[in-house]
Parts: sequence; structure tokens; C-alpha cells
Amino acid sequence: MQTFLTEDLAVPPPEPPRPPTAGPADWVRRNLFRSVGDGVVTVVAAIVVGFVVFRFARFLFSTGRWEIVRTNLKLFMVGRYPADELWRIVVALTAVAFVGGLIAGFVARRHVVAGTVAPDQPVTRRLVALVGRLWPLVVGVLLLLFLSSSPGPWLTAAAIVVAAVLGRLAGPYLPRRSAVVLVLGSIVLAAALVWFLTRPVGWDRWGGIMLNLFLATAGITLCFPLGVLLALGRRSKLPLIRAVCIAYIELFRGVPLFVLLLLSAIALGFFIPTWLEPPGLVVRAIVVFTLFTAAYVAEIVRGGLQSLPKGQTEAAQALGLSPVKTTFLIVMPQALRNVIPALVGQFISLFKDTTLAGAAMGFLDALQVANAATAQDAFRGQRLLAESLGFVMLLFWIGCITMSRESQRLERTLGVGTR
Amino acid sequence: MTDTTTGSTTTAAYADATQVAGSGEVMIELDGVVKRFGSFTALHEIDLKVAKQEVVVVIGPSGSGKSTMIRCINRLEEHDAGRIVVDGVELTRDVRNIQEIRRETGMVFQQFNLFPHLSVLDNVTLAPRQVRRMPKRDAEALAMELLEQVRIPEQAKKYPGQLSGGQQQRVAIARALAMKPKVMLFDEPTSALDPEMINEVLDTMIDLANGGMTMIVVTHEMGFAEKVAGRVVFMADGQIVEVGTPKHFFTDPQEDRTKLFLSQIL
Ligand SMILES: Nc1ncnc2c1ncn2[C@@H]1O[C@H](COP(=O)(O)OP(=O)(O)OP(=O)(O)O)[C@@H](O)[C@H]1O
Ligand SMILES: [Mg+2]
Repeated sequence: MQTFLTEDLAVPPPEPPRPPTAGPADWVRRNLFRSVGDGVVTVVAAIVVGFVVFRFARFLFSTGRWEIVRTNLKLFMVGRYPADELWRIVVALTAVAFVGGLIAGFVARRHVVAGTVAPDQPVTRRLVALVGRLWPLVVGVLLLLFLSSSPGPWLTAAAIVVAAVLGRLAGPYLPRRSAVVLVLGSIVLAAALVWFLTRPVGWDRWGGIMLNLFLATAGITLCFPLGVLLALGRRSKLPLIRAVCIAYIELFRGVPLFVLLLLSAIALGFFIPTWLEPPGLVVRAIVVFTLFTAAYVAEIVRGGLQSLPKGQTEAAQALGLSPVKTTFLIVMPQALRNVIPALVGQFISLFKDTTLAGAAMGFLDALQVANAATAQDAFRGQRLLAESLGFVMLLFWIGCITMSRESQRLERTLGVGTR
Repeated sequence: MTDTTTGSTTTAAYADATQVAGSGEVMIELDGVVKRFGSFTALHEIDLKVAKQEVVVVIGPSGSGKSTMIRCINRLEEHDAGRIVVDGVELTRDVRNIQEIRRETGMVFQQFNLFPHLSVLDNVTLAPRQVRRMPKRDAEALAMELLEQVRIPEQAKKYPGQLSGGQQQRVAIARALAMKPKVMLFDEPTSALDPEMINEVLDTMIDLANGGMTMIVVTHEMGFAEKVAGRVVFMADGQIVEVGTPKHFFTDPQEDRTKLFLSQIL
């Protein structure tokens, strides 16, 4: 009766029940070749993808001449930083790794205390998890190490790892109220390290991906608080503050970053009195990145603030919390958590845009190294730009993918138990 | 209608919203309170006195100004004219007065409004620690005591998003109580709850009322009103239309609008 009805309505009969353990052939048939059209699309796509992958693999392993990268590795990494001062960079990286480990350990301990993560997982399991989490970075560093021809980088990497591990082990034993000390300590340390690194050579010989990383780190750290303040200012009840913030945001969102960089490199003299020593180019670049990105951060944060239900503020007010405490304990943490993806997207943009500073201000950043390398005597006229640019791309990709993955992790951690 | 005499006596005793029941000590006084939103007047000269330890239930159709009235009491809305006095402190523009009244006044919202980024325990300890500067240890002891009182101590480490609506609302009550308020304001605390959770919240509120808390409760749960309310206030169009004991409203409502409204909710 039922069969009769279905046939009668010209509906195809229900597929016969498939055995629960359908094999790979069955999967292919169902997902790739369900109909003729499906089959054609699958075949064409397979040919295109196969061709691209083949060419890419051939470039990577056979036709590509990576000698240019190997020879210029130091330039790509640190530019023309003097060779006999490189130990300063090693010291700085080691110090940063130690403090990073310390903070990670401290935070992990707090999570255990708060009961948001299970304590006491076996060390091997945690190591595997960490490598899995940071695999692009790990693979990238290993690649760089194998490209290098001297023991220096290996020793540096070892020092960094040891420092990070020591910090991580010590972190949990910090007193419970160390958060403020850690933050202030990090700021002092950062300032000290900048002084330490610029002492022998000033800014002039900074370069390579180190310069890009430095510009990005400085820009991100400085633009974030400024952006938050601008977002709050734009919602202020005082018309003057609101107007200033709106004007600022709209001004900086309305002009191209590259033009700002050029202007600050060339025309800054018009804007500051002649008796004042103009700041160096690196400082100007940091200022431009900070001011520019802060405007975007402000709009992102404002979006986060607006997405919060009014009830949150009202509940805090009803409890007697002051407006400042309501903002910084209730509203801001939730707003920021909601906009992590957008914020990190902005930070990733900033990191990539540091290559514009190289072009606008004549730094020898990673991108300019890539250009310059192809003009060296040994490589001139050999069409090696693809290799050299490809390597720079890889460096940036490692940084960006790591930021992106870490931000997703942060989102998950902060989203514990919330809708 | 054999009860008419008693009924009307009761009505007479409470007919005036400015009169006060029980001990006679006034906790909350609204005197000619006017609230406008632009050109729209949400409250027309509201007069109401609430005695210490009294429970007043406010009913009325949607848009009648019930929320607006209790939100004026802790300055979530600013009234345009009249006087509001809570425990002897008059609400003025002075920020210190506002803060003082907010410290003495707990509020429970229809949508709970718990802080989703804080654990239940942190939700409850936040205000005592930040506003009363209570040491963490004491605040947590107090919070656990209150969570016992609302019967969910085992949820302390969870986050609001992991609780049922009824549990969330009980946490919200504990959070408000943590400031040791003298007055509790409830704005339709059970309207967002599934029927099976309404009673767990009402029971907590009944405990609170029996413990001597001064309460203004906007709710249409007349069973609750019958159990603990000293008076019921019926509002319509921004005015107090009728005031009386719960019994008065069940047996002998006077105004036509009251009768119509009651016929809809009972
Ligand atoms: N922020 C506001 N701006 C403009 N009008 C408002 C505002 N808040 C409330 N109103 C108006 O004031 C009147 C009273 O609102 P109120 O929320 O106090 O009513 P209510 O009695 O609590 O109703 P309900 O039972 O639906 O909660 C309504 O007509 C409403 O539209
Ligand atoms: Mg309401």
C-alpha cells in the first residue's frame, strides 16, 4: 500500500537502508558522484587542485632555489643589526620568554584555583597539547633552524625554551596577588629591553621580521588602551569629549594608512617646532600605527558595548556600583570578550601593514629585505623574487595564524559556561 | 456578600495609599512623583507610603507604569517632580544620596540580569566586596550563607549560563541580599520563568517576607499576594487606582477598571 502510493506520486522510492559501516567507496559515491553534474564538478575541481598542488610542490622541492633565503637568513630575521651585538637580541628574547612563561604559569594556577580547568594532567599530555596548539610556530622555527648554517640560532632557541619552561614552572608559585606586579613589571621590562636593544646602534640598523614584529607589538599594545578610551569617550555624556572622539575616529578612519606613514616620514617637520628634535622614523611609525589602529579598535569596542543588554548596567547600578566600576568590572569585560575575533583581526591587519612602513619610510623590514636580496651580486637577474617573497609570506603567515589560533583559544577559555 | 462590612472596613483602613500599615514607621515614601518620557507622562503624581517590614504587591495592565514606579525608587529612572524618600534619605541629584539609597535597596529583575562572565559566587560577592569593601573571605562566607538561604549552595562555582531560569533568579535574589538591603524591589520576578520554576522563586520570596523584609513586588501572582502582601496596589495609566488588602481585591474591588483587570488575570 505504501509502495503503491509513493510510486503513484512519482517520488523515488526511499533508498534502501545502508549498512551502518559504509566503506570509503560508498562515501565517495555519495559525496562526490551523486549525479552527473556532481561528477563533472568533482573531476574539474580535482584537476585544478591537483595542478596547483603539483606546481606548488615542485616549486617548493625542486625548481625553487632557496639559496637566496639561506644566504640572507640573518637579513630576513634581524636586518643589519650588528653581528657582535646579536647577543642582546638573545638576551631580550630569553627575558621575554621567561616572563611569558611566568605569566602563563600564574594564569594557569588561577584557573585551577577557580575550578575552570582540571589540574594535574600528565606532563607529556600537556606538552603534546602545547605543540599541537602552536604547531605553525613550532614547524616554522624548526624550518628556520634547519635553514641556518650556524649553531647560534639553535642555542638561542634552546635558551628561549629553557627560559619559558622555567618561567612556567615558577609561575604557579607566585603569590596570589601578583597580577598588578606582573603587568607593571612587564611594562618596565619592555621599556628596559627597548633601551637595551637600541643602545649600541639606535634604531637605524633594526630590520628584518624583527622590526615588523616590534612595530606590531608596540602598535598593538599602545592602540588597545587608546581605542578603549576612545570608545568610552564616544559614548560619553559630555558633548565636548564625545565630539573630540568622533572627530578623531572619523579622521583616522578616513585616510589611507600609507599616506599617513609617508606624511609622518616626510612632512612631520611642518607640524613640530624647529627647535624640537624630531623623533626617529621607527618612533613615528609606531605613533602612526597606534593612532590609526586605535580608531578602528574604538569602533570595534563600541560595537561590543552596544551589543550588551541594558540590564547589565542597570543590575550593576542597582547594586550600588559606581559608574567606573560598572564600566570596568561588568560592561567592558563582556564587551571585549564579544569582540575578540574582530579585535584580533584588526591586530593581524596591523602586523601585516607593518610592511607598508618599510615601503614608506625606507626601513629594511622583511619585505624590503626580500627586494634587496634579489639585487645582490650573487642573485641579480636570476628571477628569485618568488622565492624571496614566498619566504616573507611564510614568516607573516606563521605570525598571523598563531595569533588567530590563540585568539580562538582565548575565546573558548573566556566563554566557559556562558551562553 | 455577607462580608461587606468587614470588606469595606478593610478598604477604608487602607484605601489611601499614603496611609501606612503595621508599626507605622515609614520605609519608603513617594509624594507626588511624576515621571515623563518626553511628552508622555508615565507617572501622574504617585503617592505611596510603605511601612517597615511591609510587603506591597503592585498589579496593573501592561504599560501602566509599575516598572517605572519602582525603577524611580532606586534611580534607574529619574523622576521629574515630587519627592522620594527611602529610610529617611531623599533622592536628589546628589550622587552620594543616590549611592546611599542604592546600597540600601536591592532589586530583582524580570530578566535576572546576572553577570554572565562571573561565577555564581562572584556574582554574589561582587557588590559587598566592591561597594562595602568587605574582605574576600567574609564576602564568600556571606554569599554561601545566602545561597543556602535560596537553596542552591551547590551551584556556587557554576556560571549563570549553566543554571535553569529558576536557579538564576534565586541567585539574583541572593546577589541583591548580599548588600544587606533594607528594601527589596521585585519587577515581575517570575514572568520569564517556566511554570514549574515559578514556585521555587516565590517560596524564596515568601521566606524573605516572613523574615521581615520590606518589599515592593510587581507581580500578577495573586497567590503570593494573598500569602504575604499587606496591601495590593492597582495601577493604570500611570496612576494608583485602588489600594487594599489582598482580600479586598478578591472579594470587593470597587473600581470598574480593577474589576475588569482582575477578571483577566484571575
Ligand atoms: N525609556 C522609556 N522611554 C519612553 N517611554 C517609556 C520608557 N520606559 C517606559 N516607557 C513608557 O512608560 C509607560 C510605563 O512603562 P512601564 O514599563 O513602567 O510599564 P509596566 O506597568 O511595567 O508594564 P509591563 O507590565 O508591560 O512591564 C509605557 O507606556 C512605556 O511605553
Ligand atoms: Mg514592567
